[in-house]
Amino acid sequence: MRLNRRQLLQALGLGAASSLIRGEPIARASSPTYPSRIVFYVQPHGHIPNAFNMPIPGAPTNQFAELSLANLAQSELSPTLQPLYAYRDRLLAIEGLSHTSALADIAAVMAAGSGDLNNHQVGVADVLTGSRALQRPGIYCTGGAMTVDQVLAARLSAPGRFDSRVYGFDYIPNSVVSPFSYLGPGQATPMVSDPAAAFQDLLGYITPASTTPNSRAALLASMRGSVLDSVADEYNLLAPKLDAEGLLKLQQHRDLVRQLELSLGAIGSGSTCSPAYDTTQINVRQFMSLIQLAFTCDLTRVVAFTAPVPLCPVLGYPADATFHMYAHQSVNPPSCGQTFSPYAAQAMTDLDAWHAGHVAYLLQQLDSVPEGSGTILDHTVVVWITELATPTHLHYNAYTLLAGGCNGFFDTGRYVRYPQTMTSPLPNEPPIGPAHNRLLVSLMQAMEQTDTSFGMTSATGVDGSALSMVGPLMELEGT
Amino acid sequence: MRPLLPLAACGLVAAVYAGCSNGDPASPSLPVVTVPSTPVGPSPLRRLSDAEYLNALQDLFPALTATVGPTLPALPPDVAVAGFDNAAEAQIPSDVLVARYESVANLYAAAACVDASSVAALVGCADWSTAALATSCATQFIQQTGARLFRRPVASDEQARFLLHFQAWRATIDFPGAVQLTLSAMLQSPQFIYRAEPLPAKPSGSVVPVDSYAMASRLSFFLWQSVPDDALMQAAALDQLQTDAQIHAQATRMLADPRALRVLWSFPRQWLGLDQILLAEDTARTPQVDPFWTTSTQASAYTETQLFVQNVLGQGGTFRDLLTSPRAWVNGEMARIYQVETPIDPAAWTEVTLSPVERAGLLTRVSFLAGYSHAGATSPPVRGNAIQLRILCSLPISPPPGVDLSQPSIPDGGGPETNRQLFEQRTAPAFCQGCHAGLNGFGFGLENYNAEGHYQTTDDTLPVDASGTITGTDVDGPFVGGLDLSSRLSRSRTVHDCATQELVRFALGRAPTSVEATEVAALATSFMQSEGDLRALLLDVVSSPSFRMQLVEEY
Repeated sequence: MRLNRRQLLQALGLGAASSLIRGEPIARASSPTYPSRIVFYVQPHGHIPNAFNMPIPGAPTNQFAELSLANLAQSELSPTLQPLYAYRDRLLAIEGLSHTSALADIAAVMAAGSGDLNNHQVGVADVLTGSRALQRPGIYCTGGAMTVDQVLAARLSAPGRFDSRVYGFDYIPNSVVSPFSYLGPGQATPMVSDPAAAFQDLLGYITPASTTPNSRAALLASMRGSVLDSVADEYNLLAPKLDAEGLLKLQQHRDLVRQLELSLGAIGSGSTCSPAYDTTQINVRQFMSLIQLAFTCDLTRVVAFTAPVPLCPVLGYPADATFHMYAHQSVNPPSCGQTFSPYAAQAMTDLDAWHAGHVAYLLQQLDSVPEGSGTILDHTVVVWITELATPTHLHYNAYTLLAGGCNGFFDTGRYVRYPQTMTSPLPNEPPIGPAHNRLLVSLMQAMEQTDTSFGMTSATGVDGSALSMVGPLMELEGT
Repeated sequence: MRPLLPLAACGLVAAVYAGCSNGDPASPSLPVVTVPSTPVGPSPLRRLSDAEYLNALQDLFPALTATVGPTLPALPPDVAVAGFDNAAEAQIPSDVLVARYESVANLYAAAACVDASSVAALVGCADWSTAALATSCATQFIQQTGARLFRRPVASDEQARFLLHFQAWRATIDFPGAVQLTLSAMLQSPQFIYRAEPLPAKPSGSVVPVDSYAMASRLSFFLWQSVPDDALMQAAALDQLQTDAQIHAQATRMLADPRALRVLWSFPRQWLGLDQILLAEDTARTPQVDPFWTTSTQASAYTETQLFVQNVLGQGGTFRDLLTSPRAWVNGEMARIYQVETPIDPAAWTEVTLSPVERAGLLTRVSFLAGYSHAGATSPPVRGNAIQLRILCSLPISPPPGVDLSQPSIPDGGGPETNRQLFEQRTAPAFCQGCHAGLNGFGFGLENYNAEGHYQTTDDTLPVDASGTITGTDVDGPFVGGLDLSSRLSRSRTVHDCATQELVRFALGRAPTSVEATEVAALATSFMQSEGDLRALLLDVVSSPSFRMQLVEEY
């Protein structure tokens, strides 16, 4: 029996005041003048550590450490971060978070003795939920909760714009087919993979001024809302004639029809927002351009983008190779019985730089739109995140990048490193750093929510120690 | 049932797969009769799947589909459950889906009303020049078009609502505009998009036959993947879709109609995962495997399989023929890979008989063999897994974390080794054999077919050893090569059980429940006795209680 979004949020304990376990509620002097936006750029397969890592000279490894990026030359940035040099003052690179919820999930499945334990699938289900995967008999596991982008989408829902946009490409190395964004357990958020279709959706909100305003065609177009209203009525009237399960489905459909009705022409013809995007670039960059359009016209405040895993020839590597294959060989020590290969490490480094270039392009797109005394980028946080901490399927000591100002919430222009001091839920693993759930909490708070936890709230180290997973990462915040 | 393996082995066995029997001895033949008190599973609300929705539009508006079809936006893909795209539990609406429905409805409505004569043809009257004529015309239009789209007579309250909106739209624009807007509204309404069946006023837990209109839709969406035709609707109007004989007669007629080719392809395609060949990783093969493989080859392999399935079944063949028949329809590309004579017109599809010592049915076709291989080498475990999962309804098992999943290769300076030998070495540890004894048992037996499905007798200069072992069935034991494997599986009760269970899942839009286990077993027994006659099974399924009844559940 599926719950609607409101019921689901209540069931998850979100939306109601969570108890404060540590940290103070965020006190901002006032609501930001310009709305905060968030974009998740999800890169499958993990960063190669040697490509992303930057040493922090003189800093002890058992404490939080930070390095300012402001005065560095481009060559002093790590290979992954070099394409982002122009935006270094608005980067916050984070080393050392742990996907503790994935580790705890794996530990629980192993203890139960049955279930899908593929690291890719667990990671995919975990990265934006911070929760255990949904195990289903006879098939791979999938997301077990509403993802952070959809939670924000529901919170920030308002007529006249999309709750969120989910764009990107299917991630299919080996047997993984689950997407990253979920409306609920096992319920993937529909993802649009065709930029032209995504643009058409955005256009539904932007009604360009008709060149023949009183024409019959314009009149017919103006009746779209009336038609949708009658359609919503039909759902409303049929729903009670069915059983509980059918009622819920039709009510959900009715609500979506009403939402579409409200959205029509929300951006009037007098607006400065011009409905166009750059169709000349590769698909990934077309989506970056569409995200700029969506934010400029305030058509959404939340975007989740899944970057593709390109075929090897795209980056000049052989056709019979896959990046998945290189991934296993790209880090020392390698995984799955592989031999470390410098060639594979180079391939994964090139892949990281390829993605970095797209992220840089997104930043440039957002930074080119003035807003207030700054740009849209100053009011946005771009979250470059991966579902595996390393290409060798580890789930700890991950690299994450935040970019943008997000209305001053984050203290940017730094590379920060969290110490690895906690015990993993899995045996024979090195110590781990703070749970990435806490980054999700920070992101919720950056988007003006008051949550103090997201997803799993605690786990147990293999030595029995309690691993707290709540509270924001205060070290990331600005004053 | 596969025993629960200790954690040390690679088996992290998923929970029991509901309803999957495994090699029970055949029970005596049970006649398939309707017993009103037979328990059935739930009747969830079903929506038209993407394919059913597009088929419906095509069957309702064939001429319009020819013009607007190419302009339609893509629908968000259905969420597949157990490989099938019509699972009711996964049919949650989304904002993207609702927006697409609106776009498609508007495109069809605009095309249908492009000029006065089109409107006249649609509504069935040519004169709407007075208010009275317009009203009677509109009434007729709503009644007749509504009945076609809603697949039942329009109720009086529905009629009144649509007419009210029609009049308002006519006042704002004109009569043709009102027709266009009304048609668009109908195409987005739940009576078209969903398959709502009237809830009988009976106590919770009652099992009652669905009414004839609902039965007409159940039959047509199953056997034609689309809306009922006029003959079915007439039978429903006369309440003549209730008895065994009536249903049998209609279903027989429907199976003889060309539209039945849809289910004859759609079911095997989804059950056996025959779309696998269309994945991105199959766009290329290494030059060592085939320097001429392109995306066109990939598409040809898919079409070749589709033609095989549709033609064999369409011409009265059985499910067993799908596994064993060497008939094929090939173009130039496929003729090259199968090493048969190039057809006179390499772009056209020509029927041939493939080599009877090299080829049999689906398990020896390029789409299966290449679809479950890598670009440069075969993977016996992947092929074995496909057989276990799809054909035997057996549990798929993920490799444990941390194992080496890369393609094994000969170390530098090493002597010649076959792919089989490399995999034998890789999976030799006892820890691995728990799963790989079974997986490799199937996969090794297909090593005569390389990564594109080309037949080979040597591998790296050594002779191919295609001996294998069937496990987990009622026909277990050693075999040699793809033909032997195909023949043995085609006569396996386990395979027939699996096929039956999955066909029932496909028919009902949900997995059969435990209360339906006896019914499914009886269907499988008949399927076995008919030697895999899929048409007979389809007829049995539509006559079965689960297909004809509705479980009244507590509100």
